[in-house]
Amino acid sequence: MVSALYILAAALGAAFLLGLLREERRGLAYGLTLAALGFMTWVSATWVWAFATTALPPVEIFTAGTPPPFAINLRMGMGEAALTLLVNLVGLASALYLKETLLQLGRRAMAVLLIAIMALAGLILTRDLFNLFVFMELMAISTAGLILLSADSRALGAGFKYLIVSQVVSVLLLIGIIFAYHVTGTLNIDGMAQAPALLATGIGAIAAFLILIALIAELKPFPANGWALDIYESAHPAYGAIFSAASGAAVIFAVDKVLPIGGAAWLPVATGVGIATFLFSNLLALPQTNDRRLLGYSSVGQIGLVLAVVGQRDVLGEAYGFIAFGLLVSNAVAKAGLFWLSGTIEQRGLTAWAVLRQRPLALFAFVTFLCVLVGLPPFPGFYAKWELARLLAGEGRMALLAAILLGTLIEAGYLFRWFGYAIKREPEAAAEGPRMQGAGLATGWNRALPIAAALVAAWGLGFLWGDLSGRGNLLLALPLLFALAFLVLDWLPAWVKNTLAIGGLTGFFLLTWQEYDPLRLIFAAIFLIGGSVILLASYETKGRRIGFYPSAMLMYAGLVMLIRATDAFGFFAAWELLTLGSYFLILRGKHSEPHALSYILFSLGGAFAILAGFALAGQGAVHLPLDGLAKVAEPLAPWVFVLLALGFMTKTASVGVHIWLPGAHAEAETDVSPMVSGILLKAGLYGFLVLLMSMGSQRLHGVELTHVLLWIGALSALVGNLMAVFQEDAKRLLAYSSIGQMGYALFGLALMNHLGWLMAIMFIINHYVYKSMLFLSVGGVAKRTGTRDMYRMGGLVKLMPLSFIAVLIGIIAISGVPPLSGFGGRWITYNALLDSEVRLPIVILFLAGPIAFLYLFRLIHTVFLGQLKDEHRRIKEAPFWIVLPQMIYVAVLLVVAVVPGLVLRHVDNYLDRFFPQGGLEWTGTVISSNYGYWNPISIMVIVGVIFATLFAWLLFVNRRAQPVKQFNIVFSGERPFRPETTHFAWNFFAPYRKALGFLTTPLATRFWEGITDLLHNAGDLVRRLYTGNGQTYAYHLLAFVVAVYLIRLGA
Amino acid sequence: MVDISLIAMATGFVLILIGLYGALTNGNLLRMIVAFTVADAGVNLVLVSVGYMRGRTAPILDSAVPAAEAVARIIDPVPQALVLTAIVIGLGVTALMLAYAYRLYEAKGTLDIAKFSELKW
Repeated sequence: MVSALYILAAALGAAFLLGLLREERRGLAYGLTLAALGFMTWVSATWVWAFATTALPPVEIFTAGTPPPFAINLRMGMGEAALTLLVNLVGLASALYLKETLLQLGRRAMAVLLIAIMALAGLILTRDLFNLFVFMELMAISTAGLILLSADSRALGAGFKYLIVSQVVSVLLLIGIIFAYHVTGTLNIDGMAQAPALLATGIGAIAAFLILIALIAELKPFPANGWALDIYESAHPAYGAIFSAASGAAVIFAVDKVLPIGGAAWLPVATGVGIATFLFSNLLALPQTNDRRLLGYSSVGQIGLVLAVVGQRDVLGEAYGFIAFGLLVSNAVAKAGLFWLSGTIEQRGLTAWAVLRQRPLALFAFVTFLCVLVGLPPFPGFYAKWELARLLAGEGRMALLAAILLGTLIEAGYLFRWFGYAIKREPEAAAEGPRMQGAGLATGWNRALPIAAALVAAWGLGFLWGDLSGRGNLLLALPLLFALAFLVLDWLPAWVKNTLAIGGLTGFFLLTWQEYDPLRLIFAAIFLIGGSVILLASYETKGRRIGFYPSAMLMYAGLVMLIRATDAFGFFAAWELLTLGSYFLILRGKHSEPHALSYILFSLGGAFAILAGFALAGQGAVHLPLDGLAKVAEPLAPWVFVLLALGFMTKTASVGVHIWLPGAHAEAETDVSPMVSGILLKAGLYGFLVLLMSMGSQRLHGVELTHVLLWIGALSALVGNLMAVFQEDAKRLLAYSSIGQMGYALFGLALMNHLGWLMAIMFIINHYVYKSMLFLSVGGVAKRTGTRDMYRMGGLVKLMPLSFIAVLIGIIAISGVPPLSGFGGRWITYNALLDSEVRLPIVILFLAGPIAFLYLFRLIHTVFLGQLKDEHRRIKEAPFWIVLPQMIYVAVLLVVAVVPGLVLRHVDNYLDRFFPQGGLEWTGTVISSNYGYWNPISIMVIVGVIFATLFAWLLFVNRRAQPVKQFNIVFSGERPFRPETTHFAWNFFAPYRKALGFLTTPLATRFWEGITDLLHNAGDLVRRLYTGNGQTYAYHLLAFVVAVYLIRLGA
Repeated sequence: MVDISLIAMATGFVLILIGLYGALTNGNLLRMIVAFTVADAGVNLVLVSVGYMRGRTAPILDSAVPAAEAVARIIDPVPQALVLTAIVIGLGVTALMLAYAYRLYEAKGTLDIAKFSELKW
């Protein structure tokens, strides 16, 4: 193998050679630069390969032939090899990216680039403290040089600010080094760390402090990092990539190796500085509007996170490298990719990224990088975060874990907001004149190649980390692979992909259905078979429908993996996958940008609560099987319960965390609404089932937690139904009704008795069927009428009879009146209530029932009955593919109404395992409980007879009715100010609103809006710290140094 | 009698403080650069003073100091090597800062650091 020294020698040699070339030979000079960088990359790569495939120990390189302390030594180990590979690759790719700029500026610029990459490699390799200083100064000088590659004139100021700071840093570092040398007699880092004299003497301790604080200052800690943000904002994006990906990685590695000379006392300091930087950077990133500055804040934050991890290495043990490198390469790959992408976009606003929509591949790269940054599966950061949470919770460091998760959530907030802009907004008008294809985008193969490389690296590293995790590689999971295959197949027409998708879902169900217990089988049937039925409606969409199938299949893959998961890791991974997939699905709606954002934020917040819950339950154990939750002991168990329940509540949209649901479900596309309502919501209930099956009821400070859930369920039912009553928008009405329905199901589960669970299962099945059906019918109506406002509709019964039948059957089922399955649900509910001992929540639940009648009546009455609108006279029935699944649901509802035992009987028997008491008796067609019996068939017959009689009577009395012509209404010669107010469906339930409206005050919305406003304003306030004055930044640095010193004294 | 190295070290620290004070209180780019060179000189002085040993000679091995006696007769050569490197680096950084100051002045016609704050927040 080639000695690692050649990495440094090649760069230096090439830089000298460049000096010998004539100024005009720019092509040759550029070729030489690329060749040198390529060679350096190759050397690193061979070392990485060697360390990965053989058990090679780290190799020491003695420069003067003698070991330290008499000569400088360097070391090449796995970490060094990987990081130099990263640095060299980023350098090579950026050189490629900079082709035009470098050819224009000539060999001097190329030499500076080479020196910069060499300095970073040297920082990583050297084990000598003074050598480290030299490489840091080289880095500073070359950084100041490369900043000038930018066409932005403001970069000059940024470079000078950096030089001021680096001067102060070098003063601190040099004084530290010389006194450390004085005390220990060596400049070797390892020798110094082992010298007991260093920390024993006052001078030695101060020297160690100066060295470490100087190195940490180079990591851009809050608040001494204004200079770095200015560089990020103004530098050439290719240099931004180096600055974030390569410089950050090199310096953090240097800090990692020098940290031992400060002793164990420095670990908490590193963690403190790191986590403060992570939190504040993400907070300050919130109000940013410039893409590169935002990326800068995120970079600074990510390096802070890695520093926090470095400070935790005493507890992370063997997983330390896996975690730290996982976070580091995530940031490196994502930031390099994002900076390179930003170079292809002409405008600097966040909405300018909307031009990426012209290039689906670039958009895919963009979203990949965002997911890598946030640490979503299947990327390295996801595995790293899981291990980090597991080990931190095992050590009881929950506060740190909470801070990390909070920071990540804020980061996800601004990153996904940005993605929403790119997907939904129009790019700012760049220049006058018509927009042309490719406007606002600057591309070329030398820019596309680095971005593509980063994209490949992101997925490759995801695979690698999955492999190293020892937990089953997510990228080998069949459902996920199936979903990802749709990325490759996205060029196919939609109907082909739809057929494939349906085939995949049903095929997977047929393959695996025998593996599930009856409870899971119900979920599997809803997710897979139910999903297929809804997908029938998707045949309606013509064209290619780019992006729909990967998103939808990602959600289904997550759902399937969720019910197949046996351990906490698998469960959590599936949870995040289905969250991500459904987010992309929801975002597709025309006006769903803000709602999709609030969905992903609540969901990720919930996911992090689940992560923390699992981590707390596992207490550091490597594997936590799901039924292992049952073994969690007393002081922890209720907290685990609370965290997990909170997480699941974000998915079932329980009251308080429900505000994302109405918009997300209402604004989604016609066939997406039933998916995210009828199917996705069940994931939360599945989570509750798993939780309650293993942990049962828990008491926290004497409060029965299932009792709290009971209240939450009842209140959700009440509030959800009440909000639904006052909606003008039909889809929003249905969405609010879901909140209520999920409240019922949660209530049933929380009853913790046999019939309660049976009721919940009944609600799960019913809700899937009728909510999917209603969303499709209303979607079909909205498609035909062009509006979702009910007061703009009316009298559609004759024009859209099939949709009318679906809605009629649906609301009969939902309201729980005989003869349909909803009645069965109610019957079980009342039996379950009689079994339970709670009283007040039951009253609330009873109250919610009739309220459901109000909104259901409004739905059918104002849409299908009453007067037909003039503009709707030519409307046709909804398209065939949208009606077909509705008719299937009608058939299912009728069958289930007659023979509910088909499904419920098995579940009832299965529930005996958990609650042997209080099951139902199934004899023939009669079902009986302790309190009475229910005969679906006779009910059906009775209702049928009554209906037929009344209908006949109606026909009879109306036989001589005089048909009145429509549209003969006049407004008494007056032209109303707002015509819709004269429609009877407008503000339909005004009297009820007067009486009960106070219950629908959007308290939760106000609360969450207050929180986001607070964060936003805090970020906006604190960022004013960065005045832009280089001198102020120097003050910040000194204040930072003094503050850390004082805190260390105090500790 | 006070040790010469102590005097040198004290002077060095005073120079560093003067330099940093100057850099933090002067808004003029050139004054800041000069202040930093003062601080650099102070650092170099401290470096040399730490390596100094009373009564010994320069670490040059020739006929005056045979290699066999070197350990007992010369001062520690490492700080000397360090200070040489530090001086070179300091020169490089100072030159770069001056070049920056020139370009900045060209761009805006002023040397006031507060005027270069378009990048902020």
